[in-house]
Parts: sequence; structure tokens; C-alpha cells
Amino acid sequence: MSNLSPRSSPIQGHPPPIPEDSNETDAAPSKVAAKRGWPWFNWDLSRSEVDLLLISTGLKLLLFPSYRSTDFEVHRNWLAITHSLPISQWYYDTTSEWTLDYPPFFAYFEKLLSIPASFVDAKIVDLNNLGYNAWSVVAYQRSTVIFTELLLGAVLLRFVRGAVDPSRQRIISASLFLHPGFLIIDHIHFQYNGFMFGILLWSILMAREGNKLASGILFAVLLNFKHIYMYLAPAYFIYLLRSYCMSPSGQILPTRFISLANAVIVVFVISLGPFILMGQLPQLLSRLFPFTRGLNHAYWAPNAWALVTAADRVLLQFSKRFGVALSVNESGVASTSRGLVGDTVFAVIPNVKPLHTFIITIGFQAIFLIKLWSAPTYKSFLTALTLCGYTSFMFGWHVHEKAVLLVLVPLSLLATETYAYFKTFVIASVAGIFSLFPLLFTPAESLAEVVYSLLWGAFVIIPLNRQVYEFPRSVPWVILETLENIYLLGFAALQAFVTLFPLLVRSRSGSTVCTPGDVSCSEDAAAGLSALEFLPLLLTSVYCAVGLVWAFIRLSVIYLKHQY
Amino acid sequence: MDEMTSSAPSGEVRKRHVRDRTTSFNSIPHIKGGSSTLRPSTLRNCTSTTSLRSVGSETDQSEIIAPVPRRHLLQTAESSQWLRLDTFSDTRWPSRGVSPVSAASSTASAFPTSSASKRLSFSALMEQEKMVRGITASASHLKERQESEDDLGPGGARRWVRWMHRHGMKAWVVPCAVAASMWVKWCIGLGTYSGHATPPMFGDYEAQRHWMELTIHLPVREWYTYDLQYWGLDYPPLTAYASWLCGKVGALFEPSWLSLDASRGIESPDSKIFMRASVLALDTLLYIPALYTFMRTWQGTRSSRTQHVALVTLLFHPALLLVDFGHFQYNSVMLGLTLIAINSFAAGYDLMGAVFFVLSLGFKQMALYYAPAIGSYLLGKCIFLGPVHGTRLFTRLAFTVIITLAFLFAPFLPPLAPPSAILAPISRIFPFARGLFEDKVANFWCFTNVLLIKWKRAFEGSEGTLVKASAVLTALGFLPGVAGLLWGGWKARLQPSKEQEKEGAAAPSATASLVSIPSTPTPTLPLLPYALLTSSMSFFLFSFQVHEKTILLPLLPLTLLLSGAPLNEEVWMWGVLGNNVGVFSMWPLLKKDGLGVQYFAMLLLWNRVVGHDPFRLRPNSFVGLLSIAVYAAASLLQALELVISPPARYPDLFPVLNVLVCTPVFGLVWLWSVKRGIEVGWATGGLPGSGARRGDEVQMKPKESPAVESVRRDFGVRAMSLGYAPSQSRRRALESLRAESMERDAILSGRQ
Repeated sequence: MSNLSPRSSPIQGHPPPIPEDSNETDAAPSKVAAKRGWPWFNWDLSRSEVDLLLISTGLKLLLFPSYRSTDFEVHRNWLAITHSLPISQWYYDTTSEWTLDYPPFFAYFEKLLSIPASFVDAKIVDLNNLGYNAWSVVAYQRSTVIFTELLLGAVLLRFVRGAVDPSRQRIISASLFLHPGFLIIDHIHFQYNGFMFGILLWSILMAREGNKLASGILFAVLLNFKHIYMYLAPAYFIYLLRSYCMSPSGQILPTRFISLANAVIVVFVISLGPFILMGQLPQLLSRLFPFTRGLNHAYWAPNAWALVTAADRVLLQFSKRFGVALSVNESGVASTSRGLVGDTVFAVIPNVKPLHTFIITIGFQAIFLIKLWSAPTYKSFLTALTLCGYTSFMFGWHVHEKAVLLVLVPLSLLATETYAYFKTFVIASVAGIFSLFPLLFTPAESLAEVVYSLLWGAFVIIPLNRQVYEFPRSVPWVILETLENIYLLGFAALQAFVTLFPLLVRSRSGSTVCTPGDVSCSEDAAAGLSALEFLPLLLTSVYCAVGLVWAFIRLSVIYLKHQY
Repeated sequence: MDEMTSSAPSGEVRKRHVRDRTTSFNSIPHIKGGSSTLRPSTLRNCTSTTSLRSVGSETDQSEIIAPVPRRHLLQTAESSQWLRLDTFSDTRWPSRGVSPVSAASSTASAFPTSSASKRLSFSALMEQEKMVRGITASASHLKERQESEDDLGPGGARRWVRWMHRHGMKAWVVPCAVAASMWVKWCIGLGTYSGHATPPMFGDYEAQRHWMELTIHLPVREWYTYDLQYWGLDYPPLTAYASWLCGKVGALFEPSWLSLDASRGIESPDSKIFMRASVLALDTLLYIPALYTFMRTWQGTRSSRTQHVALVTLLFHPALLLVDFGHFQYNSVMLGLTLIAINSFAAGYDLMGAVFFVLSLGFKQMALYYAPAIGSYLLGKCIFLGPVHGTRLFTRLAFTVIITLAFLFAPFLPPLAPPSAILAPISRIFPFARGLFEDKVANFWCFTNVLLIKWKRAFEGSEGTLVKASAVLTALGFLPGVAGLLWGGWKARLQPSKEQEKEGAAAPSATASLVSIPSTPTPTLPLLPYALLTSSMSFFLFSFQVHEKTILLPLLPLTLLLSGAPLNEEVWMWGVLGNNVGVFSMWPLLKKDGLGVQYFAMLLLWNRVVGHDPFRLRPNSFVGLLSIAVYAAASLLQALELVISPPARYPDLFPVLNVLVCTPVFGLVWLWSVKRGIEVGWATGGLPGSGARRGDEVQMKPKESPAVESVRRDFGVRAMSLGYAPSQSRRRALESLRAESMERDAILSGRQ
């Protein structure tokens, strides 16, 4: 351990080092000095790292023919838009229903990808070739995901290089590179999260290495790739303001503030500049922020609102059964019978408006940010960042279940701090990954994702648990730990239920025969069936929400009680 | 001990003790193992007045911190003299390196141990040989070398297994590896399959599905006669029974997948999942346990890491995975049954092995490729056991085989069916009406057809001659393997000789046990994998009606050999080359099935898992050079195919070039298997013609002085293990040595 050289000394004023120029290894510090000359080509990968890279690439290649969601066509359409239209038309085109609704950097990124695409197969970038799914486009788009994900790998490698405890960090880095979330969302469902989380982690890495200017710039870049990362923005803002633009005693350092502000402004100008010049900013923003959606997504993301909605449903049933006089909102009743599709309107509980969610989110974030303000260290920042994302995920308006990655990725970096962090990480990861399972509803892919997640869990949780386990100190802790373990074991039962339930329903619906004239029977059967169809989804959502909410509470308490 | 530590050390005694300490470090397993009476006496002899602790801490630290892994040094005269341990005592034998590659037989820890496990292993002695020959390296030196080797050498599997062991997840290795392999298999299955969306006939997928449909809807007797034009059943009955079982299960889920005639060409996503799951289920039920028992029987005496690495190597065998889970077939069932048979032979259960092999034959007639090797192994064993026990075993085997076959074909045999009913399956299973070869197969006929002579044109009208020629060539091809097994059995046959009769009085129990246990593995067991390779490869190269998928049969024994071999050894190099070329030879087939990505992914995955880098080869041996040439040619071919489309005149240009690259490799693998067979046979059975000297080495008598005796003993054993001495005399020498050591034990204990 002694030959490790954790790079903790802040290098301020230097240009941001990019991951490629690192060649530190924990194994051979002498080699590092010798190879300084060729930083760009010198990776010093150990054989196990190459193994991991190549074997995981092999596994991802096998997923080429797997199920693709509409996101695949969305991204193909964006390739076509950016390739065949002038920049002024990008945010106006409505040829396909999948209009461009990511910020400009992502559009530039698609433009870049569309150039080779046009050589591979010109039909890929044909704007009117909707729903094109030939082998060429599948292979091309899937390989761009694998290829761009290398950024994530490079950054994670850098995390290992300067880590305090490289053996643990190596497990964490590998766990992130092979995260089931990325496998499910990027390599099967189809998105570019690996690439974008690569930028996020790069930015966090810069913060760890003390290069806060670079960290800020990279985060600004990331925001212009995908605006969902705004969930994390408050933590960045406070952290950079407090620890970069102010001296420890609380005085503002104007040069730093100006340089940071300028850098961020430059990034935004590069991104939005052309559209501002063309006067398209309102159109762009209306694409980016469509405030026309409901509180919950079709499948409830496992957050606080899922629990509230579930409580509403339970209360409604309660009032129906026992005739308790509750003021029931009729449209809410209709909303329940429609299962999980469409907008959610509560039947019993007062309805939630976007403003409410906004206030709750900001309120919770403020608590953590005050703590961050008082303790602007890297670890504190990382936890506050995680909690910021977590709060948005918990209380945000129209949160998608995919956003759970915003919580899981930074939380993974904290996994080995103490056993308390680790247990939080385990609960959140298991619940979060499980909540992604309904994203893939085809049986073949479902099996693949379950087996993969189990293997991932075994390879990550068991060795880390051995390293950080602490025996609970008192009876309440023992009880708590037991309950948490029971909760985690419950996922096995839940998975069994979700798998077997459709078979049970089918055999039951096959046996009950309704006579044609019996209206109530058929209605009941239909309603029952539709409700039954959504039962596994509802259970998954609620059960995962319990775990994620609990992990949120845990992490908040840990953070607020921790002395930095 | 307390008494010892309290006394003051004297210089002379300390020096002595240093030596004792180093040796005893190596001997810990032995001391623990059984002869606990020896320990106090040893210590008392030399160190009754020394402080163990002080000596250890002052002078010997390095050696204590990093003990030299010199277990086998125990067998040298030096250490046994010091320790007064008998080398061939029945303590737990710390032998390593028993694999199909090594010459001595091994037994499983999964199975009851037989006396064979206590014999010396070939490679253990090879290692010892190295030690003695001047590697008096210090611990640090050895460790350094090991580390640098690790850095260069082992593949992903080994690194992963090591990581798992270090993180205390030893027990998780097998379940995780199996789950990962199942995951990979399932994901290969996400792709397309043979005959996907190609009406009216579709492909192998539809054939298998059709058989399920056929068997669950029709009476048994119509199975082999129903609508033969549309994928008539042409595999032996066990396939039909398995199809029936799968069909019954499938019909539980959704009868429309398998309704008679109406379901032809059905390709719904659900039915595809069911079909894929059926392959995975049969594979998991048969092939994976077979691999596991292979690991436990054939590699049972090796370190758990080596066993685990071997298992991982076998689990991700790319050719089999691509054909079974991509192209769609049930080869793993046939291979799994054969593998169980081989494992049973290794564990000494010949009858069980015979049953499983017949089942394998009954699943797919392709298992006949192995029949010469397995038949001659069993015959060789009968010869080995001598006239009385041999005949008994032979009769039992014959009886078992006939009964099993009768069971398999029962529905087509007289009590249940008219005598003529058996003709339908037989004529379907062995179709001699087809051509010499189909498509472009990397075998002798297709190869020469391209280069030398158009066989079909040259022998037009007299195809019978060709068939005969191919039969003769095939027979010649597997002859070396067969001859080796038979000759080995003959050479090592148990025969009550004069000396043995004499010794019989001295050690009656040992001699009796040798003769009366027909379940001991024969000395020809290490030859079996090579014979299987020789025989199946010769069938592939020379026989009639070969399909490219049939390369799976030679690849199984080749991979079995490779799995236990150390990295970059000759066996390993040949194994990897054979496997890679085997997968490459199926490229035209896989490309047609739309499995190109899976093909590349599996090659990448498996080569990385076993630790083979085709781009970093050293041309320091013939096989190294060959690999470089073949990989260069193959990658050039793949690159060309990607860039250029074949000219209209030669639409089959690339498959033909593929054949031209692959056939020489397969031919060389076959020749190599013959060569290795001879080598291993030589090592186990002794030099040809050395029978005259049989028993010469046994002249050592226990009356000599201990020092001289132990030196000679060591020499004798080593000579025997390396194959310089005939095995029979070796066994007898071992017997006498054992008796000798027992005597010495008695003397020692008497002295006390």
C-alpha cells in the first residue's frame, strides 16, 4: 500500500488534465516516470483490466440482436435530423413523432455519429426512412454505444489509479463499468447513458483531484448533453462556489469566480449560441422542458410519489369497502381503473401540482446544501451530490425510473466509506436495479437481465461486504440489519411472483367463462384482468420504492450526522 | 514444546535445526496426514535442546515467511532421510498435475478412492525432476518468477478464479461460472438460428421443432415414416424420446406451437424462447454436470484453482455454444453423455460408462466417431485384466450394451412391434444414399476435390468404390489410437509371474487386491482422450457424409486436453489452435445463419478467457509457427470477405478458401494426436521390446543401508514414472517399496 501515490494535492491554475494523460499505476511507480513522454498512448493497463474490457465488449456484442425500445428509433431519427437538415431546422423538424428534445451538445454528438453512419448505410440518415431496423443500423448504433462507453471506462480507470485504496476502488470501478443499469438501459433498451455518466464521473474525478475549474466546466458540458443532470446542479453550484470561489475563511476570490463563470458561459455559448443567434431559444426550451406530463410515469418510478399513489389506492379501496366517508375525487377513481396508464389523479389524497414537487425537492436539497456549505470537502460534495440527485428522484415531477442511475452511480463511489454507506449502497442498488427490470418486458431479455444482475451482485456485494462489514453494536441495530436483510431477500419472492403471475392469471382467466348476456361478469373480468395485469408492476414499484425511500433516509441521516 | 523452548541453544544444534526446519516446513501435510507417531521421534532426534522459536526468528525468517512450494522434494532421498518418512506411505499423497495429459491414472475425490490415487503421478515427478535439476532457487526468486509468469501468462479465467479465491468466494466460483455460461448461452440465443425466415423448408431449428410436434402427436411406430420429405426423423430413438419430452412440456405452455402439420414454420417469439430454453435446459441438466464430474474425476488431484480454470475453459467452449445455442442443435446432450461415459471409465465404472456411451449413440449416431476409441479402450481393459477377469468384464460389457440398445429400440422390436419395424429407424439413421460430402467441409475429400481431383466426376457411376475408400481411410486413420489402447492393455496386463508368486506370500493382500478389483482404471486411461481425438478426427477427415458441424466431436477431446494443460504448453497450443480453427471452419455456416456478431464475440470471449492472444505469438515451436500462419491466413480471409464480394464465376470462393486453410490444420491435429498417443503410451506402457528386462529394477532388497536404499529407490521410481521402466515391474517395485517402508516403520518404532 505504501507505494501508492494518491494525488490529493490540488493543482490549481493548470489546464484540466484529461483522463488519457494519466499513467499512474499503483503497481509500478518507477515505470510511470519512464513513460511520461508518451502520455496519450500510455495506458498501462493491467491484464485484468484488458480482460474486463474485452470480455465485457464480447458480452455486449452478444446483446446486439436483443430487444430495442422506441429510443432506438428516436436516436436513429436524430441521426437523420442532424445529418440531413441544416442546424436551423433541428429543433423544428416534426417528420417523426420522436422530435429532438435533448440539448444542443447531444445534437452535435448525433451529427458527429451520423457522418460515419452515412458511409455505413445511407438509409440510416434518411429522414423519411422511419422505423428503419435493418441489420446495418442496429449494428452501427449498438456499436456506437459500446464505443462511446469507453469514456466511462477510461474515467473509471483513472479513479483506480489515484485511489486511496485501489483494490476496493477497482471493484467499484468495475462494478460501475459493468453496471446492470447500463447494460439494461444502454445495451438493450438503447441510450447513451454510459457515455454521459462518463462525463459526470470525469467531472467528479476532477473534483477529487482538486481541479475544480475543470470539474465545473465538465459539468456544464454534461448539462448541455442531457438536461436531466440538472438534478445534480445545486450541489455543484454550492460546492464550486464555496470551495473554489471562496477562501476557507469565507472571502470571495474574484479571479476564480470570474474564470469559472466565464468558462461556464463559454460552454453554454458554444452550445446554445447558434440557436440564440437564430432566435430559436424559446422553441428549444419548449422542446427541452415539456410541462405537459403527469406526476407519475406510466410505470411509477419507485419514489415517494409511488408510495403516495399506492396509499391513495389503498385508501380508496378502504373507503369503498367500509363506507368511510372520504371526499372522493371521481376523476381519481377513473384514474385508478385505468391502471397505471396515463396521468395520475388521486382519488382521496389532495392532488399534487408540479409546484409542490418543486418546493419539496428544493426544501430537502437545501438541507443537504447547507451541510455542504459548511463542509465543502470532496467526500461531503460526493454525498451531497448523491443526495441532490436522490431528492430529485424521490420527489421530482414525472420522474422516469431510468433516472435512478443518477443516484446509483455517485452512490457507488461512496460504497466503501463505511459499513453504513455500504449497506445504503446495497439497498439502493438492489432496489434500483430491480426497479429497472420492468423496462424490458420481453421474456428472453428479462431472463438475461435477472441473471446478469445476480452475477453482478455476487461479484460486487460479497467481496466488498467482506471488507467493510461491521458488527452491529446494539440490539436496535441488529433488528434493523435483520429487517433490511429480510427486505433484500424479499426481492427473490417478488421476482418469483412477477415471473409466475402471468401464468397464473392466464390459467385462471382460461377457466372462468362468462355468459354473453352477463354484463357485470364481463366488466368485472375485464377490469379485474387489467388490474391484475398491472399488479406485478404496481408491486414492483411499491416494493422498490420502500427500499429506495429507506436508503434515502439512511443516506440523509448518515450525511447530516457525519463530521467532516 | 515448552520444555524445548526453555533450554539454551548451542551453535551446532542450531545449524542442524535450521535444516530440519526448512524441510519440515515442506512436510507439514505429511506429518499431519497420518504418521503422527513419527513427529515426536523426529524432533527428539535432533532438537531436544533447541529453542524452536528463537532459531526461527533469528536466522530463518525469509524461509518461514515465504515457504518454497517444494512439496515434491519430499520424495527425494534427502528429505525422507531427514524426516524418516516413508515415501510411499499411505498418507494423503500431495500429487499434482494429474490430468489426461499426464501419464499416471488419477481418481476422483468425488468417487471412492482406489489404490490408483496413491500411485505417483507423471507430471508431479516431472516437476520434481525440474527441482532436482538445479532449481535450488530461493523462495523470493521463485515467487518473482511466478509473478512475472502471471503477468504474461494466465488468461482471464485464471485471473478471475484467483481473484475469487482471494476474496473468499471459492465456493462461488462454480455457481457463478455456470450462471455466467448460461447467461452467455442465452444471449447467443437472442440471435437468429438455422433457417430463420426461409420457407418452405427452414433449417435445423424447424427440424427439431418438427420432431417435437411429430413425436407428441403420432404413435411411436410412425415416427420414422411420417412425411419423410419434410424433415423426417433421422436421428436415433433417444433424440425422439427427448423431443417427445420437450414437446410435452411445450404443449403445456402453448399447444399451437406444436400442433401437427399446422405449426410448420412457426417462428413466433414465444416459441423461439421455448425452443431455446429447451436446449439450455438439456444442456444444463446433462452437459454441465458432465463437465463438473470431468473436473472432479480427471483433474481431481489437482489444485482447486486449476480445476476451476479447466471448468471455465470448458463452459465457454465457443464452437459448441455457437452451434447449439446459435445455429440450434442438441449436440451438448450427445457430447455430455459421452463425457459422462468417459468420466465413468476414469472412475472405474466401466459398465455405467458403457451404458452412457450407448445412450450417447442412441441420441445421435455421430457419437460413432468415438466408438473405435471407446470400444478399444474397453477391450484393452479386458486384456489388461487377464483371461479370467477380462472375459468376465467382456461378457458383462457385451450384455450391458445389448440390453441398453434393446431398451432404446424397444418400441421397434418384436414384442411391441413386428420384426420389420426396426428397419425404418435403421435406414433413416444411416443414409448411404447421399453424396460423399455436403457443402464445403474442411475434410480430406473436399480439400482434395478442390486441389487435386474431382472425386464425383472421377468416380461417376461407381460411388461404392468411394464409400469403400473412405471407410478404409477412416479405419487407417483411427488405427493408431485403437492399436495404442489395445497394445497398452496387453503390455500392462496383469499376469501372475514368478516374482509375484513369490511376493504373494509376503504381501498377499496387495497382490490380491490388484487382481480382484476390476474397477481400477487401466493404465491406458491417459491414452483415452488422445484416442478419442484421433478417432473422431479421422472420421471427420476421411469418412463419408461429413457436415461442418461435426468438427464439434474432435473438438471435445481436444478441449478436454487443453483444459488441464498448463499455459503455452504444446497441448495447450494445439488445443487453442484447433478450437479457433474449428470455429473458423464453421464461419460460412454461421454467416448464413446470421450469427456473425456472435461468432466474433465468442472468439473474443473464449480466447480472452483461456488467455490466448493470437496477435502475440512466439514462433518458438512448430505449433507456434503454424498458429501464426493460420491466424494470418484466416484474418486475411475474413478481411477480404468483408471488403470484396466474390466474383460471379466463383460464388463459393470464400468457403473454398476457408476449407483450404482449415483442412491442413485438422490434418495436423490428427497427426499430432497420433504422435502424442504414442508418446503417452510409451510413458505409461514402457518401451517397446523392454519386456525382456521386466522386473530387473525390483532387485533392490530392504537389507541395504537406509541412505543407499533411499537414493536408489528414488532413482528407480523416477525412471519408472518417465516411462523408462515397464509399468508392470513398476507396480511390482511399488509394492515391494511399500512393504519395505512398512518394515522400516516397524524397525523405527521398535527402536523407540
